[in-house]
Amino acid sequence: MFKLRKAEPRDVPDILRLIKELAKYEEMEDRVLLTEKDLLEDGFGEHPFYQCILAEWQEEQSNEEPRVIGFAMYYFTYDPWTGKLLYLEDFFVVEEFRGKGIGSEILKLLSHLAMKTRCGSMHFIVAEDNRSSIEFYKRRGAEDLSKEEGWRLFRFDKDSILKMAAPAEE
Amino acid sequence: MDFSIRAANLEDCKDIARMIMELAEYEKVSEHVKVTQKDLEQDGFSKNPFFHGIVAEVPEAQRTKDGHVKIGYALYFLSYSSWKGRCVYMEDLYVMPEFRGKGIGKALMSKVAQLGMAAGCTQLNFTVLDWNKASLDFYAAQGCSDVTASLGYHVMRCEGAERGEAWPNTIEDRQ
Repeated sequence: MFKLRKAEPRDVPDILRLIKELAKYEEMEDRVLLTEKDLLEDGFGEHPFYQCILAEWQEEQSNEEPRVIGFAMYYFTYDPWTGKLLYLEDFFVVEEFRGKGIGSEILKLLSHLAMKTRCGSMHFIVAEDNRSSIEFYKRRGAEDLSKEEGWRLFRFDKDSILKMAAPAEE
Repeated sequence: MDFSIRAANLEDCKDIARMIMELAEYEKVSEHVKVTQKDLEQDGFSKNPFFHGIVAEVPEAQRTKDGHVKIGYALYFLSYSSWKGRCVYMEDLYVMPEFRGKGIGKALMSKVAQLGMAAGCTQLNFTVLDWNKASLDFYAAQGCSDVTASLGYHVMRCEGAERGEAWPNTIEDRQ
C-alpha cells in the first residue's frame, strides 16, 4: 500500500534518483545536471525554489523500510491575467507501481493544494511524442495550449543570459 | 531617447495593470484579464511575492498624450528545472507602441537577465504566440531557442478551481 507525504531534506537522494528515472523515460538522462547539494539548498533553504510530494510504498505486514516510488515537484507561478498558478515541474511514478491510482492521488493532492492557495489553474509541459502522458492528462481535462492557442516555449541558455545581462554599449 | 529601467514598487501597480490590459489587447485576449490593480499589489508586494516587476520610465517631457511616463514593463518570477536547477521565467514583456524600436524592450529583458543571474539562474524561459511575428523576430535576434520546436514541448493547462469544480476531472483512471 502507498502513502503520500511532503518531502524532507533526507529525501534529496530519492528525489534526484526519481528525477533521473523520469529523464531516462523521456530519453534525456544526460541533461540532468542537478546534484543532491543543489536540491538540498534549493528546496530546503531559506527561500525554497520548489516543493515536493513523495509517494512511499510499503508491502503489507512487512518490516522493511518504505520505499519512495513516485514524486511530484511543483512551485507557484503567476499569470497577470488570472493570478496565481501551480506549476507542475516533474511528475513520475516508477513503472512497476503504475496503474494503482498513485498518480491520480498525487494529482488530487496537488489540486487541493492549488485550491487552498487560490490558484486558478495548474500548468505543466509535456513532450508531444509522450502520447501516454498526454492521454493521462487529457482524460483529466487538460488543454494543450501550444496546439489550441499557439503558445511556443522559448529559452535563453546561460551564455545568452550572460550576453543580455551585460550593460548596453553607449 | 532617454529612459530609465528600475524595479517596480507598489505605486507602479496602477500603470502595470493598465499595460497588462494593453498587452492583452495586442494579443487579442483582453476579455481574459481578471487580475486587478489590487491583486497585483497583494500578489507582487507582500512578504512572499508570486512575481517581480521591472518598469521602464521616460522623462515628463516625453510623456504620452494621456500623461503616462511609465511606458514599458516586464514581469518575471524564479522557477526551477529538475534538470538544471534555478531558472527565471519572464511572464510579460511590453513596451507601448510609440516607444518601440528604441532599445527599451532589450533593456527590460537585460534587467530580468541580470536579476536572474544574481539569483543563480542558468535559464530564462518565456512563451510567445506563434502568430506574433514581431516578437518572434525580436527574440530570435537576441539568441534564444524555440524549445517547442526543438524538444516538442507543449504548454498544458488544467483549470477549473475558479469555477468551484474539483479539478483535475475526477474521471477514474482505468486500472
